[in-house]
Amino acid sequence: MSRHNHQDSQSESVDTTEPADRSESPSSLYDAVASREEKADARKIVTGESKYTADYAENFPHLAEAEVLRSEISHGVVTEIDTSRAEEMDGVYAVLTPDSAVVPDKLYTSAGQSYPEPSPRDLRVLRKHVRYVGDPIAAVAADDRATARAAVRQIDVTYDEREAVFDTEAAIAEDAPQLHDASEVENIQPGADYDRNVVANMSGEIGDVEKAFEQASSRSDWNIVETSWETPRQSHCIPEPHTTIAHRDEDDRYQLLTSTQVPYHVRRQLAQLFDIPIRDIRVTKPRIGAGFGGKQSMVIEPIALALTIASDRPVKLEATRKEEFHAMRFRRPAQVQLRSVVTDQGDLKAIDMSTLTNAGAYGPHSMTATSAIGKKPLPLYTNTPNIRYEAKAVYTNLPVSGAFRGYGAPQGHFAVEGHIDEVAREIDMDPIEFRAQNQIAEGDTDVASWLFKDKDGGRDIYSCGLEECIQRGKEAIGWDDVEQPDEEYRHRDCGMATAIQGSGIPGDELGAAHIKMNEDGSFILQTGAVDIGTGSDTIMAQIAAEVLGASPDDVIVYSSDTDISPFDYGAYASSTTYVTGQAVQQAAEDARGQMFEFAAEILDEPADSLTARDGAVHAESSGKSVTLEEIGQASIYGDKHRAQVMGEASFSTDESPPPFGAQFVDVTVDERTGEFEIHDLVFAVDCGLAINPDLAEGQVTGAMHMSYELAVSCDLPFDADGQPEVTGFRDYAVPRTADQPPLTPILIETHEPTGPFGAKSIAEIPTNAVPPALSNAIRRAVGVRISDLPITPEKIATELDSD
Amino acid sequence: MNINITLNGESVELPATSSNSLLDVLRQAGYTGAKRGCDTGDCGFCTVVVDGKPIKSCIRPAVSVDGATVETIEGLGTQDDLHPIQAAFVDNAALQCGFCIPGMIMRTKGLLDENPDPDEAEIRAGLSGNICRCTGYEKIFDAVEDASKRLDETSMATDGGKQRSDTEPCVRCDCGESYE
Repeated sequence: MSRHNHQDSQSESVDTTEPADRSESPSSLYDAVASREEKADARKIVTGESKYTADYAENFPHLAEAEVLRSEISHGVVTEIDTSRAEEMDGVYAVLTPDSAVVPDKLYTSAGQSYPEPSPRDLRVLRKHVRYVGDPIAAVAADDRATARAAVRQIDVTYDEREAVFDTEAAIAEDAPQLHDASEVENIQPGADYDRNVVANMSGEIGDVEKAFEQASSRSDWNIVETSWETPRQSHCIPEPHTTIAHRDEDDRYQLLTSTQVPYHVRRQLAQLFDIPIRDIRVTKPRIGAGFGGKQSMVIEPIALALTIASDRPVKLEATRKEEFHAMRFRRPAQVQLRSVVTDQGDLKAIDMSTLTNAGAYGPHSMTATSAIGKKPLPLYTNTPNIRYEAKAVYTNLPVSGAFRGYGAPQGHFAVEGHIDEVAREIDMDPIEFRAQNQIAEGDTDVASWLFKDKDGGRDIYSCGLEECIQRGKEAIGWDDVEQPDEEYRHRDCGMATAIQGSGIPGDELGAAHIKMNEDGSFILQTGAVDIGTGSDTIMAQIAAEVLGASPDDVIVYSSDTDISPFDYGAYASSTTYVTGQAVQQAAEDARGQMFEFAAEILDEPADSLTARDGAVHAESSGKSVTLEEIGQASIYGDKHRAQVMGEASFSTDESPPPFGAQFVDVTVDERTGEFEIHDLVFAVDCGLAINPDLAEGQVTGAMHMSYELAVSCDLPFDADGQPEVTGFRDYAVPRTADQPPLTPILIETHEPTGPFGAKSIAEIPTNAVPPALSNAIRRAVGVRISDLPITPEKIATELDSD
Repeated sequence: MNINITLNGESVELPATSSNSLLDVLRQAGYTGAKRGCDTGDCGFCTVVVDGKPIKSCIRPAVSVDGATVETIEGLGTQDDLHPIQAAFVDNAALQCGFCIPGMIMRTKGLLDENPDPDEAEIRAGLSGNICRCTGYEKIFDAVEDASKRLDETSMATDGGKQRSDTEPCVRCDCGESYE
């Protein structure tokens, strides 16, 4: 396989095969992209007119409201459910238990991934065998929420309690209680061992790692560095709780208005679960109060649909904040072991990494997210000749780990980027210099992301602004001129970590788009892209407008309605701009070709001499032009041939070009107490061309906020019985305006030749690197290493004391 | 029972039960700009202004506001004629999913009514009862600072350039109270 080392690649260009107008493409050449367009929904948001699922309740006159009865114990079997008192209550329309006829007696996964899902089917809609505090047992639909709640309290549940296990190491012990019987799980994942509570276990290797360690043990100029790391459970804290309104329409079809990131996956999963034909389910999403991966999982829709079928009424199910904190989905806790071989000259010879994650009670995303903990960050060091990674996920009697912005990369970056700092320290090398010597660069082939594939190959890197990210971040944070505080017990220093992500899942995405021209020269763009708050509707309008020579205001975006929108896998894996954006670009090119035919006729010029810009089509040679409005009129009401301008395209790809970033932290630590103050957090990022820099910067600061939380305050503890100790915002330290350090985003422009106008992705990468950068900064400031999150003054003080 | 309030300048009578919060009553009446995020007064998505003071309507019993003046996001500006605070949030791209924004804007209104020219520390302290999970707050700080300038210009324009007078009657009566 072809590889280039870092130095060589600097002088090479991989863009030579690209057309000239794309290989150069400074953003100043564009009109509608690379522009700070106003977010399409901004005005309705600031006036309170933006409608989220719960705001549609008033559209359903006979709406019933729902409430779920959840397990109060962490492991056991429900032996009896007495619903008689609840059913007798006035205003109660349906009471469902696992035995109810309308409740599917089928296994499913809530994952919301592509099909077939790389997750075990180990869930049921309502459950008799309960495996964590929060497992749904019964559900009620009633006149209003108060009645539904009162009815839930009238349901008596008798449990046969079983021994529970919460710790991953304990869960794989021989005498541990077994959570699932393999005979009751479908689609079992690679390496699973249900006797030992293992959901999945995978490994992959490049080169020969053991041989490198053997060589190291006999060579004095080769060094071995070993470290271990631990990360906690994190809550998405999605602003809008999971909410669904389900109803049966006059055509006897089921409609779900729901806060989801994946309307098409929800439709498919519900159809399979309820044995309803796909065509008889319609899923739409209104504005979404953010997702962050939390709404990739289908957690409440099946219960809402079952209640609607049972009551034959529209039903609204809206999760409470307490449910969000113990019964929805979370970032999976991870324990990571790393060891490396490095030469005295700073060449990495081997990286050996293994991860054990806590899946919680069920297995969605366990195999893929645990794999990602290594596969996401290791490509930074893909030029290391020997790399091995083992990923293992284990069931415990705790809430379910799911997808969460970053998808394993934040846990992996904490381990890898903390470890790399220790490796550099071992050989007395500057950590930035060490990275420059070993890291990935443009022209390289990333083989580390292919670790688990059963074929040789890798991902060619066509754009990489990592070096500039580091340079600009260094300058912004003041890396070289840190001034020490006057007090001798206070120590100030900077730390850094690099970051990488993907742009969609290679070979496992589909985006599609349809665009039609109105007679006034405006356009209606339909895509399945799911704007969950990021502004993807605006991005799609900008991309279409750039191609069509229109203003983004003249492109109306209608997205995410499974009856009307073209297909889309959904909003996850940083895919929307890169994948759906290219479908939109191609659909707009298709429409533009049709526009040019009308224009050629009107202008009496050859179609191939035309360009579209500034709301018109121009013949460059003659200087003649015709407006888009005139073309729209001619296409629909013209005298000659009439045909609506309609473009369409589908896009899927095996490419997933990584964005790159560098996180910097400036911290002062008090060596007496371990108290620390962060002066600034800077993240410089290469996302290719930023289609909308305002929105890209917002992604960076928002993600850094979450990464900062993971670094310093994120904790969701449980008591000895598995009862959650966090049930509301007041128990969970979301960074607030008064306590969050300043966040500085820096966009480094590169051009990704495989992306729409040179774009890659931005949504996830900035969630990756505050924890390692802060841990590295504290190590530099006061000499102690904090390797388990969150980083607290107590942990620092303890380490300082033991020094 | 019913409660009588002055809602966005108009006298209205709204149905309310003893267990209803002000948020319940507003949303049932179609004022859905204020959002339900926690029902425990911790997130601030439901912030409205009552008698000049920003409060969390999810933990304010509806019956306790009988007779009060209530301002919600619906009364501020329209999409064609944004209030200066709303315009500042739009122009500074200080929003993403938008779920927290009506509450954040009403909180900002309360802050700027009381302190028309806050410095960054005062803005940070003033907004700390309201969570935003998407933006990382940075662009919100920019928006609030910008809104403060815009309101200053608006008041200069409407009063012929006179400085605000300390002797103007206070209509807010929330002086010194915390924004929590």
